[in-house]
Order: sequence, then C-alpha cells, then structure tokens
Amino acid sequence: MPDRDPPASTPEPLLSARGIAKRYGAVRALEEASLSVRAGEVVALLGANGSGKSTLGKIITGITRPDAGTLTFDGAPLHLSEPAQARRRGITAVYQELSLVPDLSVAENVWLGHEPVRRGGIDRRTMKGRTAELLASFAGVFSVPVEPDTLVDSLPPSERQLVEVVKALAWRPRLLVLDEATASLDARQVDRLFELVRGWREGGMAVVFVSHRMNEIFRVADRAVVLRNGVTVGERRIGEVDEQELVQLMTGGGAVAAIALEGHDAPGAAAAPPGATEAPVVLELRRFASGVVAPLDLTLRQGELVGVGGLQGQGQSRLLLALFGAVPHQGEVRLEGAPVAFRNPRQALRAGVAYVPGDRNREGLLPVRPILENLQLPNWRRYGTPLRMERARRDAAAVVADLDVRLASLDEPVANLSGGNAQKVVIGKWLSRRPKLLLLDDPTKGVDVNAKAEFYRLLARLQAQGTTILFHSSDDAELLGLCQRVLVMQDGRVTATLEGDTLDQRHLVAAAMGAQGAGAA
Amino acid sequence: MSRVPPAAVALLLSVALFFLAGLVQPNFVNAAQAINIVRLAAFLGIIAAGQTLVIISGGEGIDLSVGAVVTLGAILTFMISGGSSERLWLALLVVLAVGAAIGLVNGLGIVFVRIPPLVMTLGMAGVVQGTILAVTRGNIPGGVPRALANLVTGRFLGVPGAIYLWALLGLLMWFVLQRTRYGRELFAVGVNRRTAALSGVNVSGVVVLTYTLSGLLAALGGLLLLGFTQRVFLTLGETYLFPSIAAVVVGGTVLAGGRGSYFGTMAGALVLTMTESLLRSMRIGEAYQMIVFGAILVVLLSVYGRQRERE
Amino acid sequence: MRPSSAWLRNHTYLVPLVLLVVAVALNYYFQPNFFQPRVLNGNLRVMLPLMVLAAGQALVIIAGGIDLSVGAMVSLVNVLLVTLVTRESGPPEVLLAVGAALLVGAAAGAVNGLCVAYLRLQPIVTTYATSFLFSGVALAVLPRPGGALPRALTTFYRSAPLGVPATAYGIALLLLLWVVLRRTRFVQYLYAVGGNAAAARASGVRVAFTRFLSYVTMGLFAALSAMMLTLSTGSGNSRLGDAMTLPSIVAVVLGGTRLAGGQGGVVGAVIGVAVLTIIRNLITFSNVPTWYQTLFDAVVILLALAGPGIVQLIRGRRA
Repeated sequence: MPDRDPPASTPEPLLSARGIAKRYGAVRALEEASLSVRAGEVVALLGANGSGKSTLGKIITGITRPDAGTLTFDGAPLHLSEPAQARRRGITAVYQELSLVPDLSVAENVWLGHEPVRRGGIDRRTMKGRTAELLASFAGVFSVPVEPDTLVDSLPPSERQLVEVVKALAWRPRLLVLDEATASLDARQVDRLFELVRGWREGGMAVVFVSHRMNEIFRVADRAVVLRNGVTVGERRIGEVDEQELVQLMTGGGAVAAIALEGHDAPGAAAAPPGATEAPVVLELRRFASGVVAPLDLTLRQGELVGVGGLQGQGQSRLLLALFGAVPHQGEVRLEGAPVAFRNPRQALRAGVAYVPGDRNREGLLPVRPILENLQLPNWRRYGTPLRMERARRDAAAVVADLDVRLASLDEPVANLSGGNAQKVVIGKWLSRRPKLLLLDDPTKGVDVNAKAEFYRLLARLQAQGTTILFHSSDDAELLGLCQRVLVMQDGRVTATLEGDTLDQRHLVAAAMGAQGAGAA
Repeated sequence: MSRVPPAAVALLLSVALFFLAGLVQPNFVNAAQAINIVRLAAFLGIIAAGQTLVIISGGEGIDLSVGAVVTLGAILTFMISGGSSERLWLALLVVLAVGAAIGLVNGLGIVFVRIPPLVMTLGMAGVVQGTILAVTRGNIPGGVPRALANLVTGRFLGVPGAIYLWALLGLLMWFVLQRTRYGRELFAVGVNRRTAALSGVNVSGVVVLTYTLSGLLAALGGLLLLGFTQRVFLTLGETYLFPSIAAVVVGGTVLAGGRGSYFGTMAGALVLTMTESLLRSMRIGEAYQMIVFGAILVVLLSVYGRQRERE
Repeated sequence: MRPSSAWLRNHTYLVPLVLLVVAVALNYYFQPNFFQPRVLNGNLRVMLPLMVLAAGQALVIIAGGIDLSVGAMVSLVNVLLVTLVTRESGPPEVLLAVGAALLVGAAAGAVNGLCVAYLRLQPIVTTYATSFLFSGVALAVLPRPGGALPRALTTFYRSAPLGVPATAYGIALLLLLWVVLRRTRFVQYLYAVGGNAAAARASGVRVAFTRFLSYVTMGLFAALSAMMLTLSTGSGNSRLGDAMTLPSIVAVVLGGTRLAGGQGGVVGAVIGVAVLTIIRNLITFSNVPTWYQTLFDAVVILLALAGPGIVQLIRGRRA
C-alpha cells in the first residue's frame, strides 16, 4: 500500500481580490467586493442587475482600475492598466465575440498580437497547426465546419463564441474568466465546454464563471460567490447549497418594498380598477419573434403598465426595437385590432407607437444639438415652411414645464443636462404626439432618485390618459413597484409572467436565472 | 473645445489677415481692396454652399464632383444662352435641372448602392468631365449674356453684384438650414443617423436630397462664375474643388457632420482668399505660398478637425 | 450556411485578374502588336511608377486610411533626384541620391502619419493639406522643369536584359517585395486595424503606431515610384506626380480593396493599374470617337468602382 502524503493544507488562492470599490460618476458599482480563486478551482460569480459582477470581472482582467482595494495574483500584488498586462500575468477573459476581426481567418484571430514568428515573418504553418490543435477540443460540436483558415465573418454567432474561447486558451492562461460565455452556445457546445473546463481544472487552471443561468452554475462550479449592490454578501460551496438559497443571497432575503410615491400608492398596484379587464385591447402579439427573441404571445390592454424584466441582454431591448419596426421581425401584430407590420420607425410613429431607447446618448439624443431641437425632432412637420419657430419654442417650453426639466435655456446643448433631465427630454419628444403605445427601454438607468420619482409620476399620468406602456427595466425594485404584470426574459424566452402573488423579487430573480420554482410561465 | 463659434473666429482671422497684409504692403488696407477680396471670395463661397450641406450630413459625406459640375454649369450657360440675355432664363433652368440630376445620381449611388461618397462623387466627376468633352468636342460655341455679366460684375452703390448675390445665397442657406424641416433633420442626420432614424427622420431621403442640392448649387455656381470670368475653359471649376472643402472645414463645420453653418463657410472662404492674397502680396513666390497654405490648413485642422476616437 | 475559407478574402485580386485578362484580350484584338517587345515595353514603362505608388496606397487603405498627397510626394522626390544627380554623376552620387530620396519620402510620410494617427485628424482633408506643403517644397527646390540623368540610367530603364523589359523585372521585384512584406506582423496588423481597430486594440496591437507606420511606408513607396518615374522621363518637374494621386486610389479599388479597409492587397492594386492603363489604350484604339473617349473611360471606371456595391444590391443586401 503506497504511502499517503498528509493532506495538503488549503493552498493559497491564486487570485485574491479584497475590498474592491469602483465608482462611475455618481454610481457606486462596487463598494466592498471580494473574490478569491484557487488554482484548480471553478468559482461562479453571481448577482442580479446592478450587483457589480461585470465590473468586478473588468477589474480582474485589466479593463478597468479599481478605486480602492487590493488585488493579489500568485502572491504578488496586481496593478493592471490594460488587458495586455493581465494577459502577460496569466489572466485572460473570454469576451462575447466582440474582439474578433471579421475579415481575418480563425487562426489569424486566435493568434492576433502574439503570432508565432520565424525568420522575421509570421510562421503560418505553426500558427495553423496550433490552431487546429486548439480547435480539436471542440471537435464534434461545431454546427458548421470550422478550420484554421475559415473566415470568421462567415461563422454563425455560436461558432464565433467558440473561437473567442480558443483565442483565450491560446494565451495559456492560469486564470480564465468566462463572462456569459455560454450565451450563444447550443446545448452540446455547452456540454463540451464544461467537459473542457473540468479538464482544465484538473490541470491547475483557475476559472471564474460569470453566468445568468442557475443550472449551469450548479453543473460546473465548485464554489459560488454572490454579489449584491456591489458587496460580496456570501460564498458557498456548490455541494452545500441549493438554488433557492443562492436566490435568497442575491435578493437579500426579504421582499423588496414597493416604491412609495409620497402618499400615492404605487401606480402599478393601484391601477387595476374594477373594470380593468374590460379595457380595450391595444396590442396583440401572436408568435412574435425577432432575432434572439423566441416566438411569444402577448396582449396589452389600454392603460396597462406592463414590465419586461430579467437580467440584462436577454432580448428585452430587441423585443422593444422590433415592436417599433427598427429591426426585422416575424409574427402577427395587431394594434387596436388592426393588423400592422412596421418596416421602419416612421411607420410605427404614424400609427401612434413611440420608443424611448436604452442608450440615451447614442440612440435617444443628439448631445451637441440644442434642447429645442431634440424635443421637436419628430415634430417639425407640424410647423410648416418657414418653420414657425415661436410656436415650436412655445410647445417645447410647455413640454419642459410639464415635465419640470431643469434647464437654463432651450438653446443649450442637451449634453449640459443631468441624466434625469436628459431622460425627460428623450420622453418629451413623444409627449405632444400622445402615443397609444409607449415602449420604454430601461429609461431610468443613471438617473438619480428624485428624477426617478418624477418619472414614475409621469408614467402614472400617461396611464391615466390612456397610454399603454411596455416597460423594460434592469432595476427589479422599479419593475415590481410600478407594474401590474412583469414578463421575465432569459435567453430570448419569456420564462415567467409574474402578477399578483408571484409579483415579488424572489420569483423575479429565480425566473431570470432559470431556477426551479420560478412561478407561472 | 472652444465655446466661441468657429465662424466668428474665422471671420476675425480674415480681418486680422487683412490688416496684416497692410503691414506688408502699405496702401493695401482700403475699401477697394477689401471689396476686391470679398468679391473673389464670393465665388468660392457660392461654390462651397453645396459642400457645406454635404459635410453637415455626416457619414463621411463629401462631394468631389463639385469642380466638374461648376465647369458644366458655366459651359451650359455659355452654350444655351449663346450670349443672348433673353435665353438666360432658359439656361438657368437647364443648368439647375442638370446639376440636380447629377447630384441625384450621386445621392442614389451613395444611399442605395452603398458606394462611399468619396468614390461615388469622384467617379461622377470623371463622368461629368467626359460628358463635357463629348458634347463640346473641345470647341465651345456660345457667349456670355450681357445681363449675366452685368449682374455679376456690375456695381450697385460701389459694390459688385457678385457680393450681393453671395449675401443673398447666405440668407437663403440660413433659411434652409434654420427654418425648414429639411435643415433641422439634416443636422440630426449628421450627428447620429441611428438617433435620427429612431426619431422618425427619413434618413435616406435627407441624404439623397442633400447631394441633389449640392449638385444644383454647384451648377448655379458655375453659371455665376461665367458672369465673372466671361470665358469658358475645360478646367474652370477644378481650382475650386478642394478649396471648397477647406473653406467648409475652416469655417467650423466639422467633417464628422452634425455641426456647422453656412456663415462659417463664408468666413472660411474669406480666410482662404485673404491668405492667398496676403501670400501673393508678400511676393514670396508661389512655392512658399503653397507651403504656408498647407501649413495653415494643417494647423486649423488640428484646432477644429480632431476626430473623436471611434470605438 | 457553409463557412467560407479566408483564402478568397486573401486573394481579392482574382476578379480583377479576370478583368485584366479580358482587357488584354480586347487590347490584343485592336492592337495585334500588343505583345511585341517594343509595344509591351512602352506600356510597362508607363505602368511601373503608378504600380509602385498604388502598392503603397493599398497599404494605407487596408489600414483604414487614405493618402491624397502621394502625387505631391512623388513630385518632391523627383525634383530632389534631379537636383542631386546630373548627367555626369557616378555611382556614389546616385546612391546618395537614392538614400536621400528614401529619407525624404519617409519623412513626408511621417508628417502625414503624425497628423492622422496621433493627432487624429481626418485623412482626406489632412493629406490634401500636406500635398500643398510638399508641392510647395518641390516648387522651391526646382522652380523650373529641367535636370538630367546619366545616360546609362535612362537607357537601362528602356532596355530589355535577356529579352525581357527591365520594367517587367521591376514589377516582378515589386510583387516579390509584397510576398516578403505580407509575412510580417506589421502588414498583418494593418489588416487587423483596418478590419476592427477596437478588436485589434483589445488584442494588444498598437493601433496608432501601426497607422503611423502605414503612412511612412507610403512615403517610401512614393520615393520608389518617383525613382522609376525619373528614370522614365529623365528629367524633373515639380508638377510631375500630381496626376498620379487619383489614379492610385482608383487602381486600388479596382483591384478589389475596399476603401473601408481590412482586406485587399498589393497584387490587386498592381492589376488595377494594368487594367486602368489598358482600358485607356482600348478606348484609344477602339472605334469610340476621340471626343467620347474620356466619357467612356469615366463611365467604365465608375462602374468598376460601383461594382462591389451593385453586386451586394442584387444579392439583396446581405449585411
């Protein structure tokens, strides 16, 4: 019988992050976050929207620098100013297929920046050979043939994601961060990836696995670290915990208080007067699909404020854009009973649909142009030729007063306004048109508390006037407080429709993560 | 980024240059000389009007066919009017229509066939030049209508007609840019095409219209230029092409689009013309004139033309 | 959807090559003595300087930029050469002149590179502005056309060692140079930066430096082109290269390189020059009346430039 070595003492963590804080302007993304990963260990990083998990990931991989806290790697302090430094130390992340050059081949992309060289030039043979070896790990699960010479542009998103994984592996990392890396992969590919992860773990690699899918976390991770509001609130061994407990940690245990609006009840809760179910149907969707959004059915009645929730990037924006006609879509759409098929936003506008985009500065506003112009951009047609500027200014001033936008003058560039006020301008664009259906894509992101309260009052007023609102938000409290109904999306599917008893954060987060017992689907 | 409107800076610069010229050459600073400079700048300014619109529209917008269209406009006027003032109106109509048609082709190619503006307008310039040759066969019969010459060079209250025309165009451009729906939407399209589209603007329509207008204005510029030069030759418009771009940029219209004004272009035209005159009066030789011109342009671009990092 | 090989993207010159074959065939039809040494040599002599220039332009365009000052750079180097070299010059002076030419070319390119890559100025207007700078210097160096080269050099350019025109060797050397350059990481990064600068940066490529180098390389190629041109004309003229700028760009696009960058190559640019030259010949020899020739030329070029876009339109605008 062979001698057994005495059990090794718990090895020092390979990566140790402690007390990490990071602010983006007024927003505190991380307050007191910590994470430690040992060699040969897979740690899952969990958190709801706004928990700060992606910020933590960016700090570890050198994309951002922390404001406070310590980072140690392999015993030595870690100060990263760019991703290339992190890579040199042995920390690599798998991005969501955004770091590939479409016109180059798989091999060229995988080795970009560290190509093997021979006699002053790139050694393509070695490059191809090594790429083939790396690609072999995924042999059998490619849905289309993928060779070192394949043009990346011609690959479907799932294969591109796998190329991203291979690209990270080519740097021979000691710590690999997989940030939502399974998002575009099919089931077989996920299986293979997890097989490989287990193999790498045996080989001593440390893996940080950031994911929004509960079942995956339980399949591949050894430990789970939970972030909430920028703080690490708990850490559990996977074998010793169940899904519900993790959800509990993510949500903080208690139900989130509904938003109180200075004496008013939360509009969502109150806006269901006795005859509500008899309000006319405004929007009817049947097998409506677009891009990642899987076919869904939906009925909205006049005056309803329905929420769309779930973790970010699960198809919510795409759904709204498709309803606005800005992206291609399939399926039946009926607006006030009449079938419609919007091929571009202009048609949607004419039919009475308005859209407030999520990326305020890049899609909702013209930052360098005056507030007046931003407010009237969809409306100039009304003012004739020559434009009756006095009328336009009066109308704009009326909107400004109505929404209580704090500004110095209508001629200031919109960029001078604070987040909350700028958001009011984005909505103000549509108000004078009295839209029938208002699509809001995460409108209160980066808006301070007071402005949010004003915004909620505005929504209540619009509802009372008969506007129907479909409202995506990454702020769970907001959704729960305002809406009577919330659709929760994960990977493009509506995994649950919450209302009444199931309209609470526990169900919301559970449905967002795909955990069991998620509530009415 | 300075808060002072670039147009004002350019204007001040041209005035400063004017007085600087006076230092070099006494007797330079007088009303007659000033009027002369403005008159020279007027043609550049008129020709740069369409270019201003195109550059405001963003999307790497540029119109390299302006030179050829100017020549075409002048030649068509020369030939169609045959020197008769009655037929000037006919010539005007034809010139505007042809200019607009050329611009329309540019716009359609750029928007629907997705040809980059640089390539499309460059190609059209060649086609226009070739058409001129084919139609005229090097022999250009015709004449300059008296009415046109009088309009452009005749003086009213001591000021040449060309300057009044330029001022009129300035007002017209202001009107289009500030008091029409098209103008408001043009700025929006130049700042951010996606935002404009999501706000209900017909982006394709605006862009096509912009290039059409550019062609129309360039042709008009050619017609007026004929009144000034009173002769035609095949490279009439060429020397105005790149200065038209420079005038727009110097006047503060950002090459990335979405910002600017025609007043800026007017000031830019003044600066460029003034610089050229100054250099010429300094008798430093054509070579050094070119060097200084190039250097000044680069400096002005460094101040106003910095690109935002496109991620 | 079957993924395609990058091979096609690496060899975008294939369609232009077909165009070239067709053009040559047509030219032969109209001018049966096309392949005779004297005629062939004459054609090649005209093409070589533009080919070298277009090669440099291709590199700049691949990296996502463009250079409108190339003609002026050629003029500048040309006048420099005739100033440094006279009819009596011996090998040492000639070598010195060559060295100076390359240095000046690189310096001019560096000016462009500094403005575009580091100051982030817009390439089109900036290189237009620097073209004035270079032209001005050229005019200052050589106010009036003139100058001469040693007879041996100009004769060599016209000669045909071993029965093959000297210029053909020149083209071959150019292509060989490309083969060598293509292997380097520098050229690989040109493609990466032009294809997706953000991705390149994320992978650790020094984007600004790569762009800067592309302009410096352009300057070197302009110097080489000027040397060929000077050998061809045997004299100097401060306006000599001006007419080469736009054809260099047209040739690159004709050769299959996208103006947006990220793909294409020198082989295509070289073929593009050949196609351009032969089209000009064709139009001269065909029955197209003289006065229509320029128009024809322009329409053909416009169609060729519009080609990729039209194909996509027909295909239903596959994004």
